[in-house]
Amino acid sequence: MDYRKLVETIPVAKRETVSNKLIDLILSSKNDEKMPSQLASTILHHWQNDILISESGLTALLEAAALLEPEKTIEAFTQLELAGLAEQIKEVATKT
Amino acid sequence: MVKFGIEFVPREPYWKIIYYAIQAERGGFSNLWITDHFNDRNVYVTLTATAIYTQKITFGPGVTNPYLVNPVFTAQAIATLNELAPGRVVLGIGAGDKTTLESVGVEMQKPLTAIPEAVDIFRKITSGENVVYKGEVFKTAGAKFLFKPKGGIPVYVGAQGPKMLELAGKIGDGVLINASHPKDVEYAVNCVKEGVRQAGKKLPDVDVAAYTSFAVHEDLKKATKAAVRVVSSIVAGSPSVLLERHGIDVKKAEEIREALKANDWGRAFGAVTPEMIEAFSVCGTPDTCVQRIEQLLKSGISQFVVGSPIGPNVREAIDLVSKKIIPHFKK
Repeated sequence: MDYRKLVETIPVAKRETVSNKLIDLILSSKNDEKMPSQLASTILHHWQNDILISESGLTALLEAAALLEPEKTIEAFTQLELAGLAEQIKEVATKT
Repeated sequence: MVKFGIEFVPREPYWKIIYYAIQAERGGFSNLWITDHFNDRNVYVTLTATAIYTQKITFGPGVTNPYLVNPVFTAQAIATLNELAPGRVVLGIGAGDKTTLESVGVEMQKPLTAIPEAVDIFRKITSGENVVYKGEVFKTAGAKFLFKPKGGIPVYVGAQGPKMLELAGKIGDGVLINASHPKDVEYAVNCVKEGVRQAGKKLPDVDVAAYTSFAVHEDLKKATKAAVRVVSSIVAGSPSVLLERHGIDVKKAEEIREALKANDWGRAFGAVTPEMIEAFSVCGTPDTCVQRIEQLLKSGISQFVVGSPIGPNVREAIDLVSKKIIPHFKK
């Protein structure tokens, strides 16, 4: 899935909320072992530079959340009234 | 002004701890401590990542012990970290946990002798000396680094009992007092003061830290629930004299000990009383935590360490401490 393209569809006004929600999902996940080390480094690099709400930061967060907590990620996007995004993540999650 | 430290346990993967470390640094914490237990992830690997991803926070093992890891190896690791993050590295060292040491067949031999010897060796070898040491517990027959270490690394001694607290005050640049209640911390600081006096120092020369079990949340019940797990372990490991100081029924403590041994978490956690939470943690809403920290400050501590579990949600808890607790003490 091209997570970058999905992120581009998130309204700018909602990016901070989305970023916060995804960070919570990732940090509270018990599926730590599913986090690829390169992706973890990318997230930490963005956090270190305080740019997690940038498109590249959100892309990394979305990829990690979808890997670690696919169902909760879908639910979060539905609650954030980003149903289109939720649907696309759901499609991929059911294939994998 | 009191400094705030924070403790992380590397049972969590490194990326979670580093996320929190960056958050804590940004939120006004000045010290970061990583616990050292063989059955968690490695403390020095975690500290290396901390060094790379942070800019100004001071950090170190909180605490390592000289039994499982020889002091020269500890010195090597700390000296190397001090090259990665010059001036930001400290050593936290204590006698360790008897049960954990026994589980790997290591004896906690003469802790009141072993700790000062280990600190002595650490200071000498990180100053670039060729160390010939004939201690009762540790011996070296000419140990020298083949690189030039940057010396002067502060040593914090972790302590709980009166003799170790006194020793910590005597030999430490800092002391990590393993206690959360004002009565216990006051008692501990008095022991530290005696050691400080014996060494011809003054209390402000030593960074005295209350290394607490801490849980904060806007909802008191959620904060308390988070603290229960850690408090049950502390109660189970506490001597009768300490329990009695807080009016805790020794039989209740025994019940928790037995339940934990049997891995019956429900029974163990269910037996934790409000008195136990009060005695062995700093727990509650930001306001109640501020009040408790104010009480602790009266005993003369210079650092308050936010220890495990921090809160039911660590990210939220760090935010609460940064925004509602630390600013109160900067006024």
